[in-house]
Amino acid sequence: MKLTIKNWTGVATWRWVANDDNCGICRMPFDGCCPDCKLPGDDCPLVWGQCSHCFHMHCIVKWLQSQPVNQQCPMCRQGWKFNNK
Amino acid sequence: MSRHVSKIGDPSPLKRLDEPQISKKIRLEIEVDENMSDNSPDRNRRANFSNVNGVNRNLNIHSVKPTTKKLIIKNFKSEPKLPDDYNETTWKKLSSAVIAIQQSKPNEYLLEELYQAVGNMCSHKMASELYKNLFELIDAHVRSNIEKFKTETMDRLLFLKKMNDTWQSHCNQMIMIRGIFLCLDRTYVLQNPNISSIWDMGLDLFRKYFMLHTLVQTRVVEGLLMLIEQERQGDKVDRILLKSLLRMLTDLQIYNKAFEQKFLQSTERLYAAEGQRLMQELEVPEFLAHVDKRIHEENERVLHYLDSSTKYQLIHTVEKQLLSEHINNILQKGLDNLLEENRLHDLSLLYQLFSRVKNGLQELCHAFNAFIKKQGRTIVIDPEKDKTMVQELLDFKDAMDNIVASCFKKNEMFSNSLKEAFEHFINQRTNKPAELIAKFVDSKLRAGNKEATEEELERLLDKIMVLFRFIHGKDVFEAFYKKDLAKRLLVGKSASVDAEKSMLSKLKQECGGGFTSKLEGMFKDMELSKDINVAFKQHLNINTPELMPLDMTVNILTMGYWPTYLPMDVTLPAQMVKFQDIFKEFYLSKHNGRKLQWQPTLGHCVLKARFKAGQKELVVSLFQTLVILLFNESDEHGFEYIKAATNIEDGELRRTLQSLACGKARVLNKIPKGREIEDNDKFKFNNDFVNKLFRIKINQIQMKETTEEQKATEERVFQDRQYQIDAAIVRIMKMRKTLSHNLLISELLGQLKFPVKPSDLKKRIESLIDRDYMERDKDNSNQYNYVA
Repeated sequence: MKLTIKNWTGVATWRWVANDDNCGICRMPFDGCCPDCKLPGDDCPLVWGQCSHCFHMHCIVKWLQSQPVNQQCPMCRQGWKFNNK
Repeated sequence: MSRHVSKIGDPSPLKRLDEPQISKKIRLEIEVDENMSDNSPDRNRRANFSNVNGVNRNLNIHSVKPTTKKLIIKNFKSEPKLPDDYNETTWKKLSSAVIAIQQSKPNEYLLEELYQAVGNMCSHKMASELYKNLFELIDAHVRSNIEKFKTETMDRLLFLKKMNDTWQSHCNQMIMIRGIFLCLDRTYVLQNPNISSIWDMGLDLFRKYFMLHTLVQTRVVEGLLMLIEQERQGDKVDRILLKSLLRMLTDLQIYNKAFEQKFLQSTERLYAAEGQRLMQELEVPEFLAHVDKRIHEENERVLHYLDSSTKYQLIHTVEKQLLSEHINNILQKGLDNLLEENRLHDLSLLYQLFSRVKNGLQELCHAFNAFIKKQGRTIVIDPEKDKTMVQELLDFKDAMDNIVASCFKKNEMFSNSLKEAFEHFINQRTNKPAELIAKFVDSKLRAGNKEATEEELERLLDKIMVLFRFIHGKDVFEAFYKKDLAKRLLVGKSASVDAEKSMLSKLKQECGGGFTSKLEGMFKDMELSKDINVAFKQHLNINTPELMPLDMTVNILTMGYWPTYLPMDVTLPAQMVKFQDIFKEFYLSKHNGRKLQWQPTLGHCVLKARFKAGQKELVVSLFQTLVILLFNESDEHGFEYIKAATNIEDGELRRTLQSLACGKARVLNKIPKGREIEDNDKFKFNNDFVNKLFRIKINQIQMKETTEEQKATEERVFQDRQYQIDAAIVRIMKMRKTLSHNLLISELLGQLKFPVKPSDLKKRIESLIDRDYMERDKDNSNQYNYVA
């Protein structure tokens, strides 16, 4: 072997695996963050429901708190359950 | 004592005055009179006279001590009288004395004697006659003196000298005469307010005849003007003579009427002509120096011989003729040169002179502004000069700042105008200056830029921020800056983290947190990536110790922060793919719900290569790595094979091969040789590669980025702007509810911080109407209503 790799600096970009571009609640893009946050990423994560819909965590939590009974997905009106893949 | 004399039963019939202040003198005069006059034989009178006091006192004493001896006082038996011809004889004496004085001959009488004679005459009610006689005497003398000049046809200078002598002797004589006739001044003149004092009478007479003989007067004035003109032309003249004669005119109170006007007129004529002529002949700096000299000279003139009341008008005239008239000419002809050549001294002078005249500074400021705009435009507008534009702008700004500070006395008007002009011209060319400033900063912040110490760099960044402040399209700057910052961070080329952070904080200060949040996010990503890599190494050690070691670090970027990169699929060697997969698995296990996209365009490697001459380390991009690694299998590959094996995009591959085979460090040999990569080319591993360095960086050949990449960046900027326009429109409409088109446009132009065309705004408004954010008013199509 005449040539070997000594070190390698790779670059990758990450994005959310979401079935939509925008959050169904705040209408902000998932690549961004919810209106209350400044920086996307770990500070403003996404969550998925078992119905496969996905929102900013902050948005859906706020929504659920405003619904004392019958916590439903705002998109499909199924009962909301977090999907912890 | 003397008060008693006058107040208490004064026996003297001579007593006429009640003023206590002068009564003492009166007594003295009386005494003198008595002694002088031969017709008063009674020598006791003096004793008697003084006894007046004695009596009074004695009377008082008497009432206290009656035993003392009585002294009886009697009135004069007859009133003392002056001889009848006293008037004539005394006047004869006096007149002869006056004439002697006037002819500068020795005087046969004692001055004391004359003085007493005048006193006597005054006290014997002859004052008015005396005054009249004296008046006639002086009148005759002055008239003959001045009439002498009427016929004189001598040289002007001589004439002036003679005039001056006459005047001087007139003054001297009048002082002398006044001395003798002091009593007249002090009694008669004082009592009669409409009669002027002897000195004034002398002046009046002099003036009268001087004015009467206009020829004499004009000759004098013209002579004076001639002298002054000679001096202005640089000759030496008798300043004392000038001063004396001008004093004469002032004393005669005809300075204003007879001299000043003509003087100012001639000044005006002279300088008007001179200004015209010199403006043609001289270069501006010399002209300014000349004007300065002239003003200085005229000031001197005022100081030395002109009346100080002339100063304002005189200087004003000079300024008007030499400066005000030529302001535009001077500015047009010379200012640009002065500024270009940075002639601080001349500029200071220019400022100083122009500050003297009305509107001078405004005009100067205006021209200064125009110059900056013109000059700046030439720096900015020419695409040929793009490479040096920012440096030139910095230098230009420095030079102009320096001029304002050192020549224009930091005048606020000028520094504001400077700012305004910079802002104007820098935005003459949209986007490019912003882009170039961003690139300039990049070049300074890049590693290997060893030309500056940290403080110098800091200062430079501050200066750049000043330029940045002028730019309207700050988003363009941000886009390019971001792109460059990404490169610096990913390739590890940043010179110093401190400098990067400092630049970031400057931008944040200037444009607020919104502007820099993405840039900050990029720094944050870099830090997070570090942690992940540490964790990944541990993970590798524990879980897959059997794997062939490959030192791999990965920078994980958050999509939103970084510039968008086109994903590109390439074929990696199996080993690398394996590592990528392990890393991906590791990362996704830590971060739920994400997907990872590799960006081969941004990766880079360090390769160990063994050549005949020894081992070297090559610092290369991922693409270069892929190509070079192929040569482990065989020493020679054709272009098509390489393309198929690596799956690198055609253009990219050609550039990569070019960098390896045609650049400075040629690790591959191209067959046949040549700069361009052709489809049939073959490449051979260059075993004979030599280089004095151990670690060699093989530069990538930059995509002819300017066009494509730049367009992409601009496009992105344009996209962002559309959102901003939309937001601004909605914000305004939400507040106003209804608004006419024109008002909306003007408010938008006020709010938006980047240059924008009204037609673009119209498009955005249409789009918002389509999306039901607002609607056209049903009655008035020129008006919009906000739709909640």
